[in-house]
Amino acid sequence: MSNVAGKAYGMNVLTPLRWWTALWQKLIFWVVVKTFPYFLKGLLTLSLIHYARWTIINRWSFPRLDKTQPKETLTYSYMLFESNFNGSWDQYIDSFSFAIPGGLDMFWRWNIKYPKSIPLHDFYHYIRFNQIECDHYYNAYPLASANDVKSAKRLTGNLRSFADSLTDNMTDEAFMDAYRQFLADNQHALGSMGDSPLMSTSHQLVQHHKQVNTAHEKQPEEEA
Amino acid sequence: MNRPLDLDDIQGNICKGYGRYGFPKARYFFLQFHTPDQGRRCLHQLIPLITNAEPWAADGDSPLKPDVTTNIAFTYAGLEALGLPQRSLNGFPGEFRMGMKSRADILGDNGPSAPEHWDPVWQGEGIHAWVSINGRDMDAVETRFSVIRGIISDTGGVSIRPGHRGADNTLLPWQDASAVYENGKVTPKEHFGYVDGIGNPYFEGCGNDPSRLPGRGKLNKEGQWQPLATGEFILGHVDEAQEYPLAPEPHLLAHNGTFMVYRKLHENVTTFHHYVDSVAQDFDGSRELLMAKFSGRWPDNGAPLTLAPDDEAKAALDQQLASLTEKADKGDACAAAQLKALKDQWIDFTYADDKHGSRCPIGAHIRRANTRASLETQKGAFNTPSALDDRRRLLRRGLPYGGGQKEASDATEQGIIFMCLGASIERQFEFIQQQWINYSNDFHLGNDKDVLIGSNNGRLTDKHIIQTQPKSGKAPFFCSHLPRMVETRGGDYFFIPSITALNMIAQGIIDPT
Ligand code: HEM
Repeated sequence: MSNVAGKAYGMNVLTPLRWWTALWQKLIFWVVVKTFPYFLKGLLTLSLIHYARWTIINRWSFPRLDKTQPKETLTYSYMLFESNFNGSWDQYIDSFSFAIPGGLDMFWRWNIKYPKSIPLHDFYHYIRFNQIECDHYYNAYPLASANDVKSAKRLTGNLRSFADSLTDNMTDEAFMDAYRQFLADNQHALGSMGDSPLMSTSHQLVQHHKQVNTAHEKQPEEEA
Repeated sequence: MNRPLDLDDIQGNICKGYGRYGFPKARYFFLQFHTPDQGRRCLHQLIPLITNAEPWAADGDSPLKPDVTTNIAFTYAGLEALGLPQRSLNGFPGEFRMGMKSRADILGDNGPSAPEHWDPVWQGEGIHAWVSINGRDMDAVETRFSVIRGIISDTGGVSIRPGHRGADNTLLPWQDASAVYENGKVTPKEHFGYVDGIGNPYFEGCGNDPSRLPGRGKLNKEGQWQPLATGEFILGHVDEAQEYPLAPEPHLLAHNGTFMVYRKLHENVTTFHHYVDSVAQDFDGSRELLMAKFSGRWPDNGAPLTLAPDDEAKAALDQQLASLTEKADKGDACAAAQLKALKDQWIDFTYADDKHGSRCPIGAHIRRANTRASLETQKGAFNTPSALDDRRRLLRRGLPYGGGQKEASDATEQGIIFMCLGASIERQFEFIQQQWINYSNDFHLGNDKDVLIGSNNGRLTDKHIIQTQPKSGKAPFFCSHLPRMVETRGGDYFFIPSITALNMIAQGIIDPT
């Protein structure tokens, strides 16, 4: 089990709602997203967030793995919050709560026992208490954060267009000017790629144990 | 709103950067308590020497500025050694309990900075307390030191831990620090040649002149400077998240105290100057401009790049400064006011007009260490413009050490005793060191690191980008293969108790029941 893969952290939080507020909240979400996108500006500007999604699950529509799985009778409807972000849990919750406390309260305000995002530690406890750990979490690009991927995509596209714009009969000076311009246009997409900073000393311990385990598993094979 | 602070209960180094008050010399040393009772007795004797944060009167009134100051702080092991109850000890934050060595991988203390290479004093256990003496001159420091040494030998059971590397590889039982002198005069410079010690936060109740607020506080919704909450820097007071910072019980143990990071940072001066010389050959600008593009401020007088982004602008600024100073010196009040307004811009700035980093590079040291609202890349996106910075500010209290040799080199002893204070070492110092100094995701610069203090290793990808003005026809400039300019030589995390808490610890009456 780990919520960490490469530079990413996966967070799932499932919080109860009264069924009638759930319906009401669905409507609010829809209106906000359609008519007041500036509510989301803060969220989009927090560049450590790759992805954040709030889903309302009515108490009668909880998914079942199979038709044979008995239906549950639930008292509450639920809100499922899923997020992928770059950085540690504390760093994420801190930034979230410092930067967009109003936005968070808007999403969670009708949830049972939601304490509001400020003061911070009540919010910490609320999220931790309702968080569901990832059983499996996969990251195809462990060395890249969402910002790195966005930069790389932009750079690749621009490099292709730049290459296409070059002509055989271009002078060296003209090429140099065009190349300088290309670098200037892409100066914000040229960071180095590298390992994730250590998310916590606990995660470091887990990684160390995994290495030890792998070495241990390999040994009998070598002996054989 | 916080009530006024009991400045006479708060240790003086929290509210005052002594360097700014004319104390260019310092000695730091570390105590080991061999038994709790002797440790407490020694502490009891030391308390009358401890300097509090009351403002010093200019003339006549008391308290007058002393010749020498003394402050004290404890590691987790030290508080244990003094016999604090377990329940109180349990309330201290995790990173403080672990200590700096265990946090090496978070701090980037690897390679030459790894703890096994630190000065001998940091090897093994037994660092319990940090004592600092700041003085107007070395005589004052020495006199105070011998008084303290007398107290220590009288009580017994307490020793000063030896093993600080000094000049010529000698090992000393203390760490001396001193402002850098040029032609016999104190300068505000550090050993790479930069003016330092300009930017420091302004917080509610700190006792500083309110004219120091602009550029040092936080920015509200209207873009005006306001003092940061006291609880960002002093425990037992409300912080920027409108709560009391995490602190041990009982309340009086933590109230008016704070945490301190102590780091001995060695400066590889030869490596630094060779790198600057070799890169300067290809750089479109002076050597000084290149140095400024590393730190964010001009080395000679600390002018920020936001104010003078190139050699031409710097020359004009210097000329303006010189002429205003000359007139002001002759008694021209108008020039004096203009000069003050100009000097205010040394600190009162943001990066709002420099989104691309063409003036101050996005990865420059001061832009990393204090982002000044620049993470709000879209206006109005956050609760306040500096929302992501206000909980990440550091009170810096360091001084340079070493130097003074004829020929300084990587092998000679010089650097900075970096000390910073705050209510949460993890949230403030460790976050900045890990996320902003040794990493750049928040700046969209991938894994690039700080030129001056990043844990760079001379690889192609260890680089710094000096951004250019878009559409200027100029390319950004790449400083690649950055070597390790600064190496960690030791340090730990300390708790600075209030005067009340010191007395309670000394009497052994800390009771969280
Ligand atoms: C040998 C090591 C270091 C050197 C040579 C150095 C150099 C400098 C210089 C030249 C300045 C500009 C002067 C000023 O604004 O006061 C500065 C500012 C600053 N430095 Fe460092 N520094 C070092 C270590 C550190 C460390 C370890 C940190 C924290 C992790 C740090 C955080 C800061 C901060 C917060 C500022 C003020 C930024 C502002 O408010 O605009 N420095 N440093």
